[in-house]
Amino acid sequence: MRFNEKELVCLSRQPSEMAAELGMRGPKKGDVVKRRLVKLVVNFLFYFRIDEEEPIGALLLEQCRVEREDSQTFSIAFLDEAERKYLFECDSEEQCKEWTDSIIKASYEFMRRNLIFYRTEIHRLTGKDPLEQYGISDETRFQVNSGSQLMARDTSSL
Amino acid sequence: MKLHEKILTHFLSCTSPVDKEGYLYKKKERNATYYRRWFVLKANLLFYQERPADRHLLGVIVLEGCTVQMLDSDGFFPFALQFGSGLKTYRFAAGDAQTQGRWVKALFLASHCYLSNLVRDLGRQYEEAKQQQDPTNSCSSLKSLSPPTNSLLVPALFPLSLVREGRSFSASDALPPPSMPTKMAAKKSPKKWPRRNAHVTPLNGPAPPYGEWPLVGSDPLVEFSKLHDFYGQEVKKAREEWLRSRQTEKEQREKDLIDLG
Repeated sequence: MRFNEKELVCLSRQPSEMAAELGMRGPKKGDVVKRRLVKLVVNFLFYFRIDEEEPIGALLLEQCRVEREDSQTFSIAFLDEAERKYLFECDSEEQCKEWTDSIIKASYEFMRRNLIFYRTEIHRLTGKDPLEQYGISDETRFQVNSGSQLMARDTSSL
Repeated sequence: MKLHEKILTHFLSCTSPVDKEGYLYKKKERNATYYRRWFVLKANLLFYQERPADRHLLGVIVLEGCTVQMLDSDGFFPFALQFGSGLKTYRFAAGDAQTQGRWVKALFLASHCYLSNLVRDLGRQYEEAKQQQDPTNSCSSLKSLSPPTNSLLVPALFPLSLVREGRSFSASDALPPPSMPTKMAAKKSPKKWPRRNAHVTPLNGPAPPYGEWPLVGSDPLVEFSKLHDFYGQEVKKAREEWLRSRQTEKEQREKDLIDLG
């Protein structure tokens, strides 16, 4: 599958508050812990060999489960495969908590749920839809009942 | 760099909402031909494949750090995703003005950056609304984010960057050989933007040089107030034009009434 690699690498170089050297272990049997520069940018987790400019890989942080394994270690499981986990070893309990919180909050779906919550609440409290002023109140992606929207599909034929 | 594709394809196929899908033409860089592809927009990812039922995905575009440009061309409805200098520009075309407009808007709103700023803004409004409901409750659960602003940081109305391209495409040039059973729309100028919420300049007017949409995300709060001012002017102009045309319409109608009387 093609993807905009150069642009994604460029994204990985954007400043990020969550960037640190962590011990990282892949999900496969036989994978060992390696020291990596792990960096959270938007909803991607990039990981670099120490002092390298280009990341080794990028993990999309959607539909994943973040768990504390112990006080200083957390894991991310993808594809509903609970046993296929990436492990991350932090230097402190505090750092570990910071990472797990940040990763969860970085997910697009998490943010979308927050948006829908705020939109609903603001409307309830003020009687106004806060998205009207932005001209985006009809957009599918911000709908309260996603899925039951008439506009979800645009199968316009060309 | 390895992009763990399975994670992306899993995300695509899971139950979270699809934000937009449909056919578009995508220009292949190498041979400058447009191929019809089925696009699925989910979160900040734009997937594409040949047909909706296909298992095989051709590719994905991560929509961060790009500007969306509406392009103007007779009888042809192109638009582009432009990443920074030295990076790619993806070119697309829709079959009609409405589809073009909807996709441009949807792509603009798709980035993580945009959503993040919007959520932050709404979070603030929510806290304010709660305060107003219960002024005695002075403690706020919201961590203090950025310093309080004195003006509305409205992430402006849906912005539209209209770039007039020197070349004009004819339908036969731009499209691949007619294995596609599709008709190009009649060669009329694109209609006015029909959406009532989006205050955008009509596409069939002369294209003022709006310039490029500034890259949102670098310093969001600053960008928004800049954008607010910048598009405030555009909105004003559009509104004046609209009022003028309404006035003409009104006069026309009154004239007719008189005639009937």
